[in-house]
Amino acid sequence: MMKNQSATAVSAAKAAGRNALDESAGKALLAGYGIRVPQSRVAKGVADVDAVMQGLQVPVVVKVMSPDILHKSDAGGVKINLRSATEVKAAIEGMLAAPKIKGARIEGFLVEEMAPSGHELVIGGLRDPQFGPLVMVGLGGIFVEIFKDVSFRLCPIARIDAEEMLDELKAAAILKGARGGKPASREAIIEVLLKMGGEDGLLLKHAADISEADINPLIVSETGAVAVDARFILG
Amino acid sequence: MSIVEQFTPLFAPKTVAVIGASTKGNALPNVFIRRIREFGFSGDIYPIHPAAAEIDGLTAYKSLADTPKPVDYAYIAVSGAQIPGMLAAAKGHVRFAQVISSGFGEVDEGKGLQDELVQAAKAGGMRLLGPNCLGIYTPRGRVTFAEIGPKETGPVGIVSQSGGLGTDIIRRGLSRGLKFSGLVTVGNCADVTPSDLLEFYLADPQTRVIGMYIETAKDGRRLFDILRKARASKPVVILKGGRTQQGLAAAASHTGSLAGDDRVWVALARQTGCMLVDTLDHFIDTLLIFQTLSPRPQRPTRKVVLFGNGGGTSVLATDYFSRLDLDVTPFDQGPIDALAALKLPPGTSITNPVDCPVGTLQQDDGRVAEKILDIICGQGKPEALVMHLNLSAFVGRTKPEVLDNLVAAAMRVQEKYPGQSHFILVLRSDGEPALEARKREFRDKAVALGVPVYDEMANAGHPLAALASFERYRAARGG
Repeated sequence: MMKNQSATAVSAAKAAGRNALDESAGKALLAGYGIRVPQSRVAKGVADVDAVMQGLQVPVVVKVMSPDILHKSDAGGVKINLRSATEVKAAIEGMLAAPKIKGARIEGFLVEEMAPSGHELVIGGLRDPQFGPLVMVGLGGIFVEIFKDVSFRLCPIARIDAEEMLDELKAAAILKGARGGKPASREAIIEVLLKMGGEDGLLLKHAADISEADINPLIVSETGAVAVDARFILG
Repeated sequence: MSIVEQFTPLFAPKTVAVIGASTKGNALPNVFIRRIREFGFSGDIYPIHPAAAEIDGLTAYKSLADTPKPVDYAYIAVSGAQIPGMLAAAKGHVRFAQVISSGFGEVDEGKGLQDELVQAAKAGGMRLLGPNCLGIYTPRGRVTFAEIGPKETGPVGIVSQSGGLGTDIIRRGLSRGLKFSGLVTVGNCADVTPSDLLEFYLADPQTRVIGMYIETAKDGRRLFDILRKARASKPVVILKGGRTQQGLAAAASHTGSLAGDDRVWVALARQTGCMLVDTLDHFIDTLLIFQTLSPRPQRPTRKVVLFGNGGGTSVLATDYFSRLDLDVTPFDQGPIDALAALKLPPGTSITNPVDCPVGTLQQDDGRVAEKILDIICGQGKPEALVMHLNLSAFVGRTKPEVLDNLVAAAMRVQEKYPGQSHFILVLRSDGEPALEARKREFRDKAVALGVPVYDEMANAGHPLAALASFERYRAARGG
């Protein structure tokens, strides 16, 4: 999807009175800005699964799509590591029976290739009422949640800002491959930061519509970065 | 019109109107009239009064529209409700109006009145400063609200959202040797904001370093854009009030400031090279270093040599400086050999920190120190040299001129190696009145020579670290 089409998607969602983009629209928006997202298709239900699985690499993950469910994992709406159409169908049937999903408005199921393994990062954004959009980066999981090890910058950022954001993380050494781990591609992270927070980045372009953005996780291997989940709050 | 031209009537007014002065001569505006006369204001002063023909010996006028010449600056301190009418009546006859009175946006019941005030200023064709502030101090224009302050114009431009803190900055600045290009208190910032004054100071040739006390930036995006475009052309030091939840609540009732996200300010500083400080002391200490020393982005400060009397002080300072990411590592063999060849008395440490007991410093009336300093600068080549003298240790043991000799020696070495090491002086004392007086006299001399003087090593560490970070920022961004 091109940038202007994704812009239309954002305004359409806002016009429809939604307060958030659904996952597939969110990922389409990211893809419009050149950020890699896993290949995915939408299955309306079990009947579509065989067709949808054509052209997707296993393993895949299935996620429920519903405007009523913001935290899909908690609702039992995410099943990972599925290796065949049969497993995907079973996962969807399981979800349809889950107590937190049964009563919700269901728009379909996102069937998506699983990202290769790598470091889990969070890249996000928020809009300050006085200063406008900010972009943030941190390592996923406990680093963000417990240690609050994140760095922020006002949009737009330049390459040097992106570099400095990474350098000031306390966990920076982990990204470089400390303790025998594999390093994460610094270049790939910087690219995503610039595509989100740079001069022509997503956050500035959609500053009027997006109040909060969250790519969580961004999986970063030695060679590239993939946005595996994304959340955009409109307003 | 350039930004400098726009603000010239404020910083160098030819005519000043005063609203609120009483015929009895005891109201705040009467004090203001007295102060600007004492400060040497030579333009016309127009008291505005509904009935009086004369106030403090000056002809009074009924309204801002009635003065013989247009008003560059109006100082207004009467009860709030009558001010909007007075401003609207000015009809393009006033350039800047500063409303000292409070009871506007900082209290719920005054928010409507503040809106009226802004509309009235617009209708009257003027820029509005305040309300809820104290005034301006502009040595180039000989206008001041403060009782005392340096008479000379200097390089430090200040905007303060708090009037009282503005007074503190002027008074402490006076005793520390700061010289100002101007200080404007803006209170609730109903019209003119800190960003406007930042823009002025960045363009003003008189100003070399800018200090801001800010509680809120309503026009935050603009502040960011101005700082970003300036590319750290001048150092900007920001003392931000309300960085914690409780501080924010205090700021809301002080100047009606809205909540702000502290992470934004940290980001702003990192991204634009401006420097965030936490206390008034850090603020003044940092302004002082930029007033006296020229940043050297081509060789950012890292290596620091400490030289003075006091072994424990040297060790503690080494810890403190290294926590601030300043490097107090021992010399290479060359300078150590050269210092050893001086055959200094026992108890002298020559590795960096260079710790010399008073006995060493007073040798040959302090001229041995010159040889030590020559080796430090010429061979040790640090980016900064901090000389610390514990004045208490000199009392009764040396001739009084030893201190002068030491500083003179340091200055001669500075001249011999120009641009080699930033030179900072720490004069430590114990608060004993005679010693304090001596220190003060000494400090004034040193600051006049372009040497920043601090009371303790820690006070010198923070501004030096700020200077280093400013130099690194400029270096990294091709400044």
